[in-house]
Amino acid sequence: MRRRVLAAVLFLSGLWLLPGAPPDAGAAISLEKCTLCHGKPEFRKLLVGGHIRDLFATGDTLKGSVHEKKTCADCHFDVAEIPHREHPKRVVCTHCHFKGNKEGAPQSDNVLAYFDSVHGQAIAKGNTKAPYCQDCHGNHMVLKTKNPESKVSHSKVAETCGRCHIEIYAQYKGSVHGAALGKGIQEAPSCPQCHGEHRIYAHKDPQSTVFATKVSEQCSKCHASIAIMGKFGIETEQVATYKESFHGVASKFGSRTVANCSSCHGVHDIRPQEDPLSSVNKINIPRTCGKCHPGATANFAVGKIHVDAKKKESGIIYWTATFFKWLTIGTMLALIVHIFLDMYGRTRRLRGEQ
Amino acid sequence: MSRADLASGQVIRMSLLFRLQPLMLTVLLLVLAVTGFALMYHENALAQAVIRLEGGVQNRGIVHRVAAVLLMANLVYHIFYMLFSREGRPELRDLMITRRDIDDFLQSLRYNIGAATEYPRFGKYGYKEKFQYWGAAAGTVLVSITGFMLWAEGFSMIFLPKFVLDLAMVIHGYQGLLAFVILFFWHLYNVHLHPSVFPMNPSWITGKVSAEWLRQEHPLEYEKLKEEGLL
Repeated sequence: MRRRVLAAVLFLSGLWLLPGAPPDAGAAISLEKCTLCHGKPEFRKLLVGGHIRDLFATGDTLKGSVHEKKTCADCHFDVAEIPHREHPKRVVCTHCHFKGNKEGAPQSDNVLAYFDSVHGQAIAKGNTKAPYCQDCHGNHMVLKTKNPESKVSHSKVAETCGRCHIEIYAQYKGSVHGAALGKGIQEAPSCPQCHGEHRIYAHKDPQSTVFATKVSEQCSKCHASIAIMGKFGIETEQVATYKESFHGVASKFGSRTVANCSSCHGVHDIRPQEDPLSSVNKINIPRTCGKCHPGATANFAVGKIHVDAKKKESGIIYWTATFFKWLTIGTMLALIVHIFLDMYGRTRRLRGEQ
Repeated sequence: MSRADLASGQVIRMSLLFRLQPLMLTVLLLVLAVTGFALMYHENALAQAVIRLEGGVQNRGIVHRVAAVLLMANLVYHIFYMLFSREGRPELRDLMITRRDIDDFLQSLRYNIGAATEYPRFGKYGYKEKFQYWGAAAGTVLVSITGFMLWAEGFSMIFLPKFVLDLAMVIHGYQGLLAFVILFFWHLYNVHLHPSVFPMNPSWITGKVSAEWLRQEHPLEYEKLKEEGLL
């Protein structure tokens, strides 16, 4: 008898592990049961360090979000009894968002990219402060990225990143890019335009889109585009002239110490040249150049920095280059003509003609 | 001039010390051209291959500057040699551009198009040699100065504004190209393809030319040597 009971228990517990028949413990837990406690507005928890975690949630919490047809236990599936004795674990989005899921939850490889990123790697190393899906996309109020109200929408994402990267966010807000985005200029870059979305790596990591040798490429995505820059009256030749310069060439051939765009213009605090706070304002140029060229003087600011010898605006540099170009062409032609004449004369002399 | 040389009709045109200088110049200019043009035309696939061959852009710079220092040393040595040595001073006198060179040049043009019957008679160095010599000298000085400015950019910019260095860079590159063009066409013709020396005037190695060649190409020098009893 006892043996039969044991077998039955074993069989039943085996069922748990069978695929296709997952334990849907949560299904038994209705919204009403959760809101018994969570529906009280004052339901919150005082955390170590004085932070307060709001635990208030009602049937309206998911309303308007992409998950509005879901209920608590669909995501908090580890809650098997009410009241739950243990602190529910962090919600794992891949519970539904995996390839070939039956519910039709959108899935992409972004989740894999995320696990390889600096954030995913930090999570893997046990850093509890590193962001997980819901930290950026929102927990209950997940909206589509295109929705301007989404926490990861173009206009809001910087603020979302700034929740952890506070100082950088403050710098960015005051920069030309942050200010432009604040004015609603959609072409202005927010964090992901330079750093990537899920594939974010530390800037010292060669995989990073903002690694020293890749910075100019990243800036040129917009700054080499006449279509974008033309709208704001910004020149696009900056990228080409940088590439032609000593700095650009050294960077192209793999130098990691040579100046890239951000070495001079700044990183998150890029400001227009006319701004006295700009690192490329004439008064600040000696200090900016001095980072690499110790003892840089005001002479560094005399003359255009992004100079193009092929353009008339470059003045004496253009005229010197043009002079040399025609001098070289002229010399070449004169020499060739002279050589042929000389050979012609000599041939006649050889033939004995006068 | 040794008896053996005279017996074989050979005339010494350049001493060993004198020969060493263009030899150095040839080797160094080649190194400088290969490393320099690779940088100037870095967009080009061949240039990129050359830079990789030189061990990257950093090493390219080191090779270029080592060659440049040797070239400048060669230049300084040459200046002292020409100004102060017993061997060099007469060479400098022979190389001075005079009114006669312009006349010779015009005369040769007239002769070549058939407007004159007499081809000019040259001394030790005709207008062709002089043009090449002074062209190379001026080019080397200009390239050395601008190159030095760019190399010691921190030092230069204590005195000079940024646009002067931009100018130096433009001049350095184009002057290098100009020198290369002149050497390629002029030198190739004068000492290789010219019917009197084809395929090569051997004097840059041996220092000697035949007395007969001298009589035809540099008759004034031939006559001078004859007068001095050296032939």
